[in-house]
Amino acid sequence: MSLGRDIVIEVKEVSKSYATGGREVEVLRNISFAAGREFVAVLGPSGCGKSTLLRIIAGVEKPSRGEVVFHLDGKPSIGFVFQFPTLLPWLTVEENVLLPLMARGMSKKEALGNAYRALKIVGLYEFRDFYPNELSGGMRQRVNIARAIAVNPDILLMDEPFSNLDPLTAENMRSEILDIWLSSLLPIKTIIMVTHNVEEAVLMSDKIVVLSPRPATVVRIVENTLPRPRSRKASEVQELVDKVYEYVS
Amino acid sequence: MLTAEVAWELLASTGLSLARMVASYIISFVVAVFTGVAMAKNKYVEAIMLPLLDVLQSIPILGFLPAALVVFVRVLGPAVGAELSAVFLLFTSLVWNMIFGVYTSVKSLESSVDDLARVYRLPLLHRYMYIYLPASRGSVAANSIVSWAGGWFFLTSAEVLSIGKTEYSLRGLGSFIIKTYAQGDQTAYVAGLTMLFAVILLSYLLLWNPVAMKYTQTKALVGFTRVYEELEKAVSRIRGLIWDRLSSAYSVIRREKGGLAVAILFPIILDVASINNICLSTTGWLSGSWVYIEEFLVNLPLTALRVYGVMAAGLALTIMLAYISHMMPRLSKAIVMLGEVLSSIPAMMWWPILLPALRGFPTGIMLFIYMQGSIWYVFFNTIIFGLTRVSRELDELSEIYGVRGRLYITKIFIPSIMPSIVAGSISSSGGAWNASIVAEHIRLGELNIDVGGVGSLLSRYAEMGDIYGVVLTSLLMSVTIVVINKLLWARLVRKIGGTYVIG
Repeated sequence: MSLGRDIVIEVKEVSKSYATGGREVEVLRNISFAAGREFVAVLGPSGCGKSTLLRIIAGVEKPSRGEVVFHLDGKPSIGFVFQFPTLLPWLTVEENVLLPLMARGMSKKEALGNAYRALKIVGLYEFRDFYPNELSGGMRQRVNIARAIAVNPDILLMDEPFSNLDPLTAENMRSEILDIWLSSLLPIKTIIMVTHNVEEAVLMSDKIVVLSPRPATVVRIVENTLPRPRSRKASEVQELVDKVYEYVS
Repeated sequence: MLTAEVAWELLASTGLSLARMVASYIISFVVAVFTGVAMAKNKYVEAIMLPLLDVLQSIPILGFLPAALVVFVRVLGPAVGAELSAVFLLFTSLVWNMIFGVYTSVKSLESSVDDLARVYRLPLLHRYMYIYLPASRGSVAANSIVSWAGGWFFLTSAEVLSIGKTEYSLRGLGSFIIKTYAQGDQTAYVAGLTMLFAVILLSYLLLWNPVAMKYTQTKALVGFTRVYEELEKAVSRIRGLIWDRLSSAYSVIRREKGGLAVAILFPIILDVASINNICLSTTGWLSGSWVYIEEFLVNLPLTALRVYGVMAAGLALTIMLAYISHMMPRLSKAIVMLGEVLSSIPAMMWWPILLPALRGFPTGIMLFIYMQGSIWYVFFNTIIFGLTRVSRELDELSEIYGVRGRLYITKIFIPSIMPSIVAGSISSSGGAWNASIVAEHIRLGELNIDVGGVGSLLSRYAEMGDIYGVVLTSLLMSVTIVVINKLLWARLVRKIGGTYVIG
């Protein structure tokens, strides 16, 4: 997306250490990058602290040093797609999506409008009265996504959203997310997706932040200007995948 | 024939007893939810409350009742004071396992649920309504079955309170039955007992069992869901109304911290109050205490032997019944239903009920009451939760490889239900110690039986109006139990727990 030179999020020298069993474990070291109006993939090996970084950006966790700055008017509205669907089993699909909206004190009518639109986007409107355990894994992950986009997020954070789905479902969901993103149906300014899948990062994002194993540092930031739609088989896609693989290993 | 006057008295008494039980249950529920959540969510509260609860659920609350009664009556007058001490006693017999139920349910929520609440900034009220309460419904429902029985078990003790020559008799079903028995009014006595059975049976069939069936995996319960469903509909309609008001009011004033503090402090205030009582009523001098300590030490082995003997027998019986229930699921419903009724019969009533059959054998009645006070915690835990842990995979495995009989019981069945047995066993020992107070001594109408032991000591002090003796002996007993629990029981539990928990 070329129109996005203005910066939305700045991650400034973020470090994070935990104290476990009397020992200090360093997870993130001096992570810095900026995200404009674009789709950013944060790529790194499993267990390198990618999720922690995402949680820090979401404001759920505090960094030991550094800060995350949002260049937005007012408080940023954040949607979060969890790695596992994290649906409350005692609430229906609709109620699960409604929960964050009601928590913001939105009127029932407005909240329902938002929830229905989100459910229609992910194709689950017909299933709104079902309980999570009546749905397949892919459908549950869709509810997770619907809940995230229902809050009309400025920023959508996704924590390995496709890693627990079967390959076919994952492929469909990737294109659905891209459709939502590219159609400008929603006011999402920036998507930050954490992943360990190089191909996924190359196919979906505008910018790839490559992290090293623990403690994670930024190895390289790759601008991904390949034209969309991107095909897995296209040679320039293959080239970039190979190039990024080298940074990862 | 029952005269209209007596019948009316019976109805009124039943209503009042039920009201007392419901009030105690509601208080227990509220305290359990707030304390349990606070413990699960705040490690400081957890660090304080966990050992405190361990002590509270294992000490004989009944022993502290006379002291509480004296204070309540002195401060609030006989009518309100006696009523409050009754509710206080019932509360203490209901609440502990409910707190543990909420605590373990909320504690075992996945950490991503916490992230969810934080990412979407759910206010505390929403966290309670949509996360903590629904997450604990299963364990609260199952624990309510035990708690409700525990409440009835102490109903008579709560309604007929006497210190020395002063007797505070509260109008209620428990006191009705005891009084009519003491007066030799056979018809009224039998009518009272029948009413008691009917109320207990109905409360389980119409309320607790349907609730537990709905929110847990258990297949061992019988219940009629129709009435409960109607009740739930009605409640949810009212709740909808209240909820709308509440959330709009709540978004105006978000006093999260204040609410939490009150929630944490409330039970502590109650506890402190009970400790205060003891200080206030301490009138004797320490130099005079030696007599009591000596008496206590002489009687202790007798009671300890009974408590742990009965516990061992109770565990064996529970495992046997659990095995029968597992092998014959149809029979399990009958066993549990019987358990629910038996466990609810007020302790003191076993004397008149069993006496015709066991006139020459009061020790038998005593041991029976002991068993009543202790077995049910383990029993319900094992049958309702434990049996669902015996996985179908393990059963299929046993069938394929021909693992049967003793081998199956010792290698598959007992290890599977072990965590539930262990979980119920601390409350079970507390229950047995508590039961000693009603089991070892009875004076009712023409009945006057005493089999010695610390429990009988406590009852006799209370009869003599010796509050100092009651409190001192209760304290000594509590300290003994806590020491035994810490030195022996906790180690045993840790060893068993570490070996048998299946990942």
